[in-house]
Amino acid sequence: MTPTYYLLLSALLFTIGAVGVLVRRNAIVVFMCVELMLNAVNLSLVTFARLNGDLHGQVMGFFVMVVAAAEVVVGLAIILSIFRTRRTASVDDSNLLKY
Amino acid sequence: MLVAQSSDVSSDLGIYLPLVVMFALAAAFAVFSALLGPLVGPSRYNRAKFQAYECGIEPSPQPVVGGGRVPVAYYLTAMLFILFDIEMVFLYPFAVSADVLGLFGLVEIFLFIATVGFAYAYVWRRGGLDWN
Amino acid sequence: MSVMSSVLFLAQVQPVPSPAPAKIDPPALDAVWPILIVLAAACVGVLFEAFLPRHQRWPAQVALSLLALAGAGVALATYLSDAPEAGEMAMFNTLAVDRPALFLWGTLLALSVGAVLLIADRSVEPGGAFVATAAIRPGTVQDRAQVTATGMQTEVFPLTLFALGGMMIFCAANDLLTMFIALEVLSLPLYLMCGLARRRRLLSQEAAVKYFLLGAFASAFFLYGVALLYGYAGSVRLADISAAAAGTDRSDTLLFAGMGLLVVGLLFKASVGPFHTWTPDVYQGAPTPVTAFMAACTKVAAFGGILRVLQVAFESTQWEWRGVLWGVAIASMVIGAILGLTQTDVKRMIAYSSVAHAGFLLIGAIALTDRGLSGTLFYLLTYGFTTLAAFGVISLVRDSSGEATHLSQWAGLAKRSPLVAGVFTFLLLALAGIPLTSGFVGKFVVFEAAIDDGMAPLVVIALVASAVAAFFYLRVIVLMYFSEPAADGPTVTVPGAFTTAAITLGVLVTLLLGILPSFALDWAAGGAFAIR
Repeated sequence: MTPTYYLLLSALLFTIGAVGVLVRRNAIVVFMCVELMLNAVNLSLVTFARLNGDLHGQVMGFFVMVVAAAEVVVGLAIILSIFRTRRTASVDDSNLLKY
Repeated sequence: MLVAQSSDVSSDLGIYLPLVVMFALAAAFAVFSALLGPLVGPSRYNRAKFQAYECGIEPSPQPVVGGGRVPVAYYLTAMLFILFDIEMVFLYPFAVSADVLGLFGLVEIFLFIATVGFAYAYVWRRGGLDWN
Repeated sequence: MSVMSSVLFLAQVQPVPSPAPAKIDPPALDAVWPILIVLAAACVGVLFEAFLPRHQRWPAQVALSLLALAGAGVALATYLSDAPEAGEMAMFNTLAVDRPALFLWGTLLALSVGAVLLIADRSVEPGGAFVATAAIRPGTVQDRAQVTATGMQTEVFPLTLFALGGMMIFCAANDLLTMFIALEVLSLPLYLMCGLARRRRLLSQEAAVKYFLLGAFASAFFLYGVALLYGYAGSVRLADISAAAAGTDRSDTLLFAGMGLLVVGLLFKASVGPFHTWTPDVYQGAPTPVTAFMAACTKVAAFGGILRVLQVAFESTQWEWRGVLWGVAIASMVIGAILGLTQTDVKRMIAYSSVAHAGFLLIGAIALTDRGLSGTLFYLLTYGFTTLAAFGVISLVRDSSGEATHLSQWAGLAKRSPLVAGVFTFLLLALAGIPLTSGFVGKFVVFEAAIDDGMAPLVVIALVASAVAAFFYLRVIVLMYFSEPAADGPTVTVPGAFTTAAITLGVLVTLLLGILPSFALDWAAGGAFAIR
């Protein structure tokens, strides 16, 4: 096992997620990209746990999963409520607040 | 690897016996159930039964391409499911190390379940579990 | 796969005899009662929502929230009377209950009393500033009906308490995992509370979406920083990271990449500098009482976390990162001061003012001395109360469509209501940092500590930025006193007891800390962070 590969994959996934947040238009997809970033972090955490030879990283992975679930629920609720009004989840259409 | 006692593993295959027996039992049960069903069950055929099997039930009403909507109640149920499903992840590490944690751990996990229970009570009383 | 499973299987049949595990004792709770009381009250609040009939919820929730804040305050005072001078670790070393943490807890509790009073007010906006049912779609018949209805979504009270509990844990967190959980516990309720305004529902929902998406983005950065630092130090305890950074045999890439990502997440929450883009939108769109709570309490908690992380974990590497945070502080002050000049909405203007203040606070935070710490803590106290009262006043100026936040509507306000105009003038002067207000003392102690620590150029820039910022505060004052009121201008609502109490609290503290700051300065200088 070469941990570097896992760390590189994690960094790659995190970058894909970050770029996705910046370029995608649909709020749900933006949010899925954030979830991708969180899961990339999980991969890093368990790899480092393996490298360090302890379980802290794995336990942190549990916490991240739970927090991500809570975030999904709050986020979907918010996005859904604005979607029901506007019939679109595009972040470009949320343009009332500016300047 | 972690704790493999590699020296005398290959010579002593007897410890695999319980595993083999379990697989054999599982296979036997599967074959038994598959054969028994057509023998004892009623045979009522309809059109759907002759179609290729696909996972899940057909959505009703059918989504129209581009204009079909999933009802909001679906999202509510899905969100609640995710929440209560994932919360239970903490029971796993507790169960693994329950003996180390002792009474303190037991009290803690009951407090945790009680906290989740508060949220459940809220969802239940405020109608989050009603489909309509 | 088969090798792996056989190994696991073997490990189960022939377990390795391990030494008898150490018994885990329940932790002592005396230091953390304030947090426990707040969070327990939040849980009780959820049960109230579940089981009380609709008309009983509002009084029950208000009473519960205020009682919980008072109880937590009493618990804090009791603990303070014989707290160890050097601080102590609580809850298996995850919380560092030291003097700065206790000071921040006290500040947060006191600010929350004001915020809960503003949230609970039902006289300024009949029925309260919150929507009757959050699921009602804006623009529908039900929405027009709920604007004049008297009910409100009383879940906002437990949400406030949950957010407060998260903030209190956040500024005492001794490891980064606890800090992350606390960050989410404080953020998630705030995202929801932003979307609950009774009027201008679309703006409110939009603010919630923006805050949520950007907040989740920032916490992902924070978390990746945590993971890299865990890889670097083999632990997420702040003291362990500090110890690892003091040794030199490890990869600096992990340390500085991790620290950079972590600090970006923190700076976002504190709405500092280039990470502020959510601030004006969210402050404007959220219901004004929630904006008051966010502006005051989130700032306190976020800077509490920044101070602890910088002073405990990264003190030994300060010469590597200090220059970067200089740049961030300058950017924050300049952005806040310049963009504040161009605003036409009072709430957005105060938002940019908060960005500028975040820059001033960051100056104190990167002066890694005891005086820098105590100065920043004192600044947080003064800024919190002034902002809270300012948003309280903003909620009073209304026309038929709700709050009149456009600056042109504030023209000639002094002729309609000299008292409200006078109070707002005083608060703006405090935000600008004019002597005899708390804002002056706060800026003074922070800048003094910064000069002591060799940051004189930064202080010069800060003074220039203060002067520019003072211009847009003065513009509002001039507008209120020397303009003719518009014929169909807004009216000033006579506030009920709750809002009056909150504004009075903010104004009194602002005045008191401006005239007699020494006792609060002594509290703030009570001790440094406990490092264990």
